Amino acid sequence: MPEYKAPLRDMRFVLNEVLDLDGHYAKLGLEEVNSELLNAFLDEGAKFSENELAPLNRSGDEEGCHFEDGVVTTPKGFKEAYAKYVEGGWPAINGDPEFGGQGLPGSASIAISEMTGTANWSWSMYPGLSHGAVATIEEHGTDQQKNAYLPKLTSGEWTGTMCLTEPHCGSDLGILKTKAEPNADGSYSITGTKIFISAGEHDMAENIVHIVLARLPDAPKGTKGISLFIVPKFLTDGNGGVGERNAVACGSIEHKMGIKASATCVMNFDGATGYLIGPENKGLNCMFTFMNFARLGTAIQGVAHAELGFQGGLAYARERLAMRSLSGPKNPDGPADPIIVHPDVRRMLLTSKAFAEGGRALVYLCAQLGDQVKLARDDAEREQAHDLMALLTPIAKAFVTEVGLEAANHGVQIYGGHGFIREWGMEQNVRDARISTLYEGTTGIQALDLLGRKVMMTQGQALRNFTKIVHKFCEAHGDNGELKELIEPVARYNREWGELTQAIAMQAMQNPDYVGAASVDYLMYSGYVTLAYLWARMAAKAQEQLDAGAGDEDFYKAKISTARFYMKRILPRAAGHKGAIEGGLDCLMELDQEHFAF
Amino acid sequence: MATYKAPLEDMRFILNDVFQADRLWASMPATAEVTRDLSDAILDEAGKMVENLLFPLNRDGDEEGCHFDDGQVTTPKGFKEAFKTYAENGWTAFSGNPEFGGQGMPKSLAVLFEEMMHSANSSFALYPALTNGATLCLDAHASEDLKQAYLPKLYSGEWSGTMCLTEPHCGTDLGIMRSKAVPNDDGSFNISGTKIFITGGEHDMVDNIIHLVLAKLPDAPAGSKGISLFLVPKFLPDADGNPGERNGVAAGSIEHKMGIKGSATCVMNFDDAKGWIIGEPNQGLAAMFTMMNYERLSIGIQGLGLGEVSYQSAADYARERLQGRAATGVQNEGGNADPIIVHGDVRRMLLTMRALNEGGRALSTYVGMELDKAKFSENDAEQKAAQDRVALLTPIAKAFFTDRGFDTTVIGQQVFGGHGYVREWGMEQFVRDCRISQIYEGTNGIQALDLAGRKVTRNGGKYVDAFLADLRGWIDDNANEQGLDSIRERLVAAVDLLESTTAELLRQAGDNPDMVNASAVEYLDLFGYVTYAWLWARMMVTAAQRDDDFGRAKLTVGRFYFERLLPRAGALAEQIKAGPATMMSLEQDLF
Ligand SMILES: Cc1cc2nc3c(=O)[nH]c(=O)nc-3n(C[C@H](O)[C@H](O)[C@H](O)COP(=O)(O)OP(=O)(O)OC[C@H]3O[C@@H](n4cnc5c(N)ncnc54)[C@H](O)[C@@H]3O)c2cc1C
Ligand SMILES: Cc1cc2nc3c(=O)[nH]c(=O)nc-3n(C[C@H](O)[C@H](O)[C@H](O)COP(=O)(O)OP(=O)(O)OC[C@H]3O[C@@H](n4cnc5c(N)ncnc54)[C@H](O)[C@@H]3O)c2cc1C
Repeated sequence: MPEYKAPLRDMRFVLNEVLDLDGHYAKLGLEEVNSELLNAFLDEGAKFSENELAPLNRSGDEEGCHFEDGVVTTPKGFKEAYAKYVEGGWPAINGDPEFGGQGLPGSASIAISEMTGTANWSWSMYPGLSHGAVATIEEHGTDQQKNAYLPKLTSGEWTGTMCLTEPHCGSDLGILKTKAEPNADGSYSITGTKIFISAGEHDMAENIVHIVLARLPDAPKGTKGISLFIVPKFLTDGNGGVGERNAVACGSIEHKMGIKASATCVMNFDGATGYLIGPENKGLNCMFTFMNFARLGTAIQGVAHAELGFQGGLAYARERLAMRSLSGPKNPDGPADPIIVHPDVRRMLLTSKAFAEGGRALVYLCAQLGDQVKLARDDAEREQAHDLMALLTPIAKAFVTEVGLEAANHGVQIYGGHGFIREWGMEQNVRDARISTLYEGTTGIQALDLLGRKVMMTQGQALRNFTKIVHKFCEAHGDNGELKELIEPVARYNREWGELTQAIAMQAMQNPDYVGAASVDYLMYSGYVTLAYLWARMAAKAQEQLDAGAGDEDFYKAKISTARFYMKRILPRAAGHKGAIEGGLDCLMELDQEHFAF
Repeated sequence: MATYKAPLEDMRFILNDVFQADRLWASMPATAEVTRDLSDAILDEAGKMVENLLFPLNRDGDEEGCHFDDGQVTTPKGFKEAFKTYAENGWTAFSGNPEFGGQGMPKSLAVLFEEMMHSANSSFALYPALTNGATLCLDAHASEDLKQAYLPKLYSGEWSGTMCLTEPHCGTDLGIMRSKAVPNDDGSFNISGTKIFITGGEHDMVDNIIHLVLAKLPDAPAGSKGISLFLVPKFLPDADGNPGERNGVAAGSIEHKMGIKGSATCVMNFDDAKGWIIGEPNQGLAAMFTMMNYERLSIGIQGLGLGEVSYQSAADYARERLQGRAATGVQNEGGNADPIIVHGDVRRMLLTMRALNEGGRALSTYVGMELDKAKFSENDAEQKAAQDRVALLTPIAKAFFTDRGFDTTVIGQQVFGGHGYVREWGMEQFVRDCRISQIYEGTNGIQALDLAGRKVTRNGGKYVDAFLADLRGWIDDNANEQGLDSIRERLVAAVDLLESTTAELLRQAGDNPDMVNASAVEYLDLFGYVTYAWLWARMMVTAAQRDDDFGRAKLTVGRFYFERLLPRAGALAEQIKAGPATMMSLEQDLF
């Protein structure tokens, strides 16, 4: 079974060296935050993840959650680990200091989320969902609401959920049916059924605060008629404690492919008391403000499963003996060579490594942009960060989870038959990873968001802002002899990205279906190119450190080596996606619905 | 919910119209009795059987799994009864040698039957599949006595068979196996050792289980040239040929797996179990090779079958699930949203699945026919050509069917959105069941090595040259056919690409021993996409002769294949050309 070790060296490389968070914090005027603090954090987070969470991952999968009579019990050890997490103050890292939070920016905790998530994704979803609730209340709640909920949510004594999905709708929230009837006291009675609610009910916290999307009686149809409500499991008693039980209950939990230790609940609201948060009928807009953060949270999952698949695969590939290297025995005294000598096994390992580390860089970069969106002092800077983050978030969410799933599958494959056996843990990694391309907006929906909203609706401006950055980077490093072969493909694909986008825009003007038909291939294309840029950036930094004699030569050389692998063996995949897009529309749209199967 | 109907119309289209398999059957005495009427009737019956008998057990079988208790394995509820019906209706004898009670059906028909089995219930399908492997091997290499004693009961389904190769420390590298066989005075052997991952190693559906076991004789040479093959029954047959004394072989446990949970995967302990040699000493692996192509194709078909059931379920769901509005305006006025099949991206997913499934079905039938020629043809040249063709295409069929099958089941799950992740809907089970097919019967990495190494570079590309010549010949012969006009250029470009990339592979492999292993998987994928292109072209030419919805749909899906999937080949070629350097330069410790 793979034993998780937090990849601290690589995390520091990305945070401190590539993204230069020290400089970043100084620029934002966050004097008390710096790499020293971050490093201490990382060490503690690693210990907690490795020692408390990783050991519960396999057993949590086998045991799963239990449902009985409305009560959900999490697997053995989960509750205790959560208590320690709360005690350690972890939930409060990013919280508003006014309510007991430590007020650290998102980039300071992103690596912690990665570690807890890699060690045990199911477990990490409980605190993960709370983030969404906290962010929503911080941003849109009244003072009274903040005072009532934030202290306990921030400390982690209470947890939160996001209740969007209903049986008949997930992507298309415009058709949701849950109702909110106003009461005389200013509160609302919420009635309806929500499904697939993560952490909707469990035994780890004394109260659960649901953020619920519902419709007011005379709300307009569609997405413009949705409002947002706070619906606590127990009403507050006015003194910060819990009072009466509210009319919301878990009807059942789902039996799933993976993340079995994360309770996925049917939640029945039966005239439950709720409180409007944000303006009437603006519920979806309110959600949008933190949607980028939530998506980023799921993007981390791609990194997590790629990392775990890679670590597990690597350990096994060094030990498992099978066949001889084609260039002569490498382990002449043993009955066979370790399988890491075989190029095909290396292909799987390097692919996983390239996705894990490249994905990490992308997700951390988005977190850095998130800081700027929130804290940059200059308006223009804030807006620029916002636009860039808006562009990169669907890429991070969908691309990183898609390739995370691929890497998890490589992990299984490296184990041969043992990969298919539960006790080895590699197949769980695939099952857990599989959800990440579905929830928080499917890959298809992310792709529509990228191509439709972020690229087309800005007339390509958002993309041009980014390709300009890439272009400048290539210009700055193109003359560096060592890096040339890495920069050249990035520059080429970066140019082509713009051309491809223009070609799509032309077609889309003639036929609105063109966007939907091209979207996922476009997203994957964009992902491969974005990662190429980040790999080149990491290689450039590594080269700089080597030139400066910074020590740690092996680490930097491995970086450059992996970057080369990425350019030669992974990046060409983008061409396949481009070809598919250029294949056009007719063959996709003309088949009659009834002729899909005979 | 998952839904399945045997795709009979497409199967008949491929078998009868595209390949005219009945002409081949008629040309060979061993299969002369198989007419088009007969094959159509068999497919009909098989469809009904899998739909009614096996498919309903699929979901429950996954939830319940197999039980192990004190050496006994109990299969999920209903499996045992279904197997009895299955055997009584003669399905276990399908491809068996008629001399011993088999029905002698050609592989080209069997592939379609196997596809239905895997669509309906992959776990169940594996029990007869393993028996098939064992009987093929026995039929080809065992002594007359052993055949007489075992084949009839294996064909009748009273007994079942296994293949015992893998050991805890080796699966791919069988040369280092440890199981021993010590000769007895009476000509039998005592077999000792531990085998793991043995499918159907123990279960409750039959009276006796016949293990074919690889083991080493006392003075066997080291490595793969020192392995012999033995028959080891669970119960030794008594004087009347019925199960008698219990042999020294027993299941030690069963594995808890990601999928195919209704299939028992057993640790088998051989403790001086009595066995009989099959074939010559130290020729065990060679004996296995004769049936290997059949088995690989069959396991490849597991990927295909699961891709098909996933597709059908997804297509049904996409017509029903209402979500969002079409980009071109409302399509479903009365409803609060449009069915998701109106969305370009959902269509992309569905058509990708379908194009891969139907391309795969054509390839499975094609390889099935070549296997039939290789076995039954009385024309030496035809037989030899078929053997070469099978050698070339089998690793592709195994790995490409299962890799694309896995992709397909994942896409099918994606069409269901969040429901795809929930077990009761059935879509995630197809993913879990399919995952194994990329691993066993030789991992797909090993298939790719077999292709790029043994089948291509080792003979200087001879088999590929013959294949490419056939493709070009076919393109010339059909130059004026209607179905070809829209895709001809793309097809020619694909054939050119396979040719140039093969040349590049041969060139670089000459300079660097790591080249083959470093590019094998991409090369196999490229080969698969180009082969499907040719088969799609063949289907399109045939479809253009029809004037009906089926024919028009084929043409559309074919164009989709050429326009939206085939471009992947270009990217693969680029990856291959990049060579092994970037994969080998990183030192082991620096990973
Ligand atoms: C384990 C789990 C945990 C979850 N946790 C939560 C949670 O905590 N809170 C919550 O509210 N929800 C949660 N969800 C729900 C999840 O977010 C939804 O399942 C997801 O948004 C997809 O919605 P759906 O299932 O209704 O799929 P559908 O919307 O029905 O989509 C089906 C398919 O159609 C495609 N599609 C739909 N519309 C379009 C379009 N316009 N164009 C192109 N393609 C389209 C989709 O991409 C998908 O492939 C969870 C789900 C699961 C399985
Ligand atoms: C459910 C299940 C059912 C099975 N049923 C049977 C059965 O009925 N009978 C039976 O005998 N076995 C059976 N097997 C075993 C199966 O065939 C083996 O697991 C498979 O052959 C791989 O062997 P391995 O597990 O030892 O992997 P390994 O050989 O250890 O391979 C590990 C990894 O290294 C790679 N690798 C190895 N050598 C090389 C090389 N030279 N070059 C490049 N890559 C290489 C492989 O591709 C793989 O990715 C079953 C397994 C499972 C899980």
